[in-house]
Amino acid sequence: MTWILHRVDDRLIHGQVVVAWGGRLHPDRIYVVDDATAASAWERDLLASAAPDSEVHVLGIADMAAGYAAEAATPGAAFLLVRTLAAADQLVTAGAPVPRFQLGGLHYAPGKTRVNEYLYLDDADRAHARALLARGVRLEAQDVPAARPLPLESLDPELARR
Amino acid sequence: MTDAHGPGAAVTTVPALLVTHADLSAALLRAATAVYGPIAGVDVLSNEGLSREGLEQAIEAHVGAWRHGGLVLTDFWGGSCHVCGVSAARKGHGEIVIVTGINLPLLLDYLHNRDHYGVMELAERLAQKGQASIRVQRSDG
Repeated sequence: MTWILHRVDDRLIHGQVVVAWGGRLHPDRIYVVDDATAASAWERDLLASAAPDSEVHVLGIADMAAGYAAEAATPGAAFLLVRTLAAADQLVTAGAPVPRFQLGGLHYAPGKTRVNEYLYLDDADRAHARALLARGVRLEAQDVPAARPLPLESLDPELARR
Repeated sequence: MTDAHGPGAAVTTVPALLVTHADLSAALLRAATAVYGPIAGVDVLSNEGLSREGLEQAIEAHVGAWRHGGLVLTDFWGGSCHVCGVSAARKGHGEIVIVTGINLPLLLDYLHNRDHYGVMELAERLAQKGQASIRVQRSDG
């Protein structure tokens, strides 16, 4: 068993990840892939303490792309978390063959429009989503295990427009 | 707010911010009011609809007004309220301590003792009281 969840979530490690998905899937390792967080020892320690039942690794995008295949061959189960669709796109472009990203939480900010109650996207987000879809990466909206995963294309008519 | 407790002792009231999922913090404060009476000096905040940055900024807006530290009371360890509370606490003044696992007995104990302890001592007391309040009793005698 290896990668069992790839998630885009601007909260990174939080309740839905640790309690809902962690309680359901019991990951041995959680990889937080975020350049800014990886650059801060304090942030790394904070996130590591927030998920006491898993081993937490905080890596930059380039380091995760380089180590993605090795983790895939490691015993146990792993989650991968990125904060934005831009980071997801960069990770795949850098060589990580992620088959599917779960879109778990991209909250409102000025300039973003509502897709559903936990997903808000702007033009840049949609450009990265299109790039990922063009590479064959599936994008599915799902915040918690009890929710039905839905293809982003089915929820966001703006995604089809250019 | 300051008050005197014992000869020569001036104790500052420890302020608190309740940060939880959904409407839990507002409901807890409403429940505490029913037991304790009118409550001043306790703020509530929901994480609903907020990104990590947004929640951190919202917490900072509250704790930034505290001159001598205070308590951020959150629902569970590892949740966004806890993680963002820790991040925001770094930017406040004085000793700001996070207590996770808030429940009604813990909140009531805070209200009864916020004028009697320093921030860390009160946090440790609340952790103990909150845990001790969870008890099991058989119904068959």
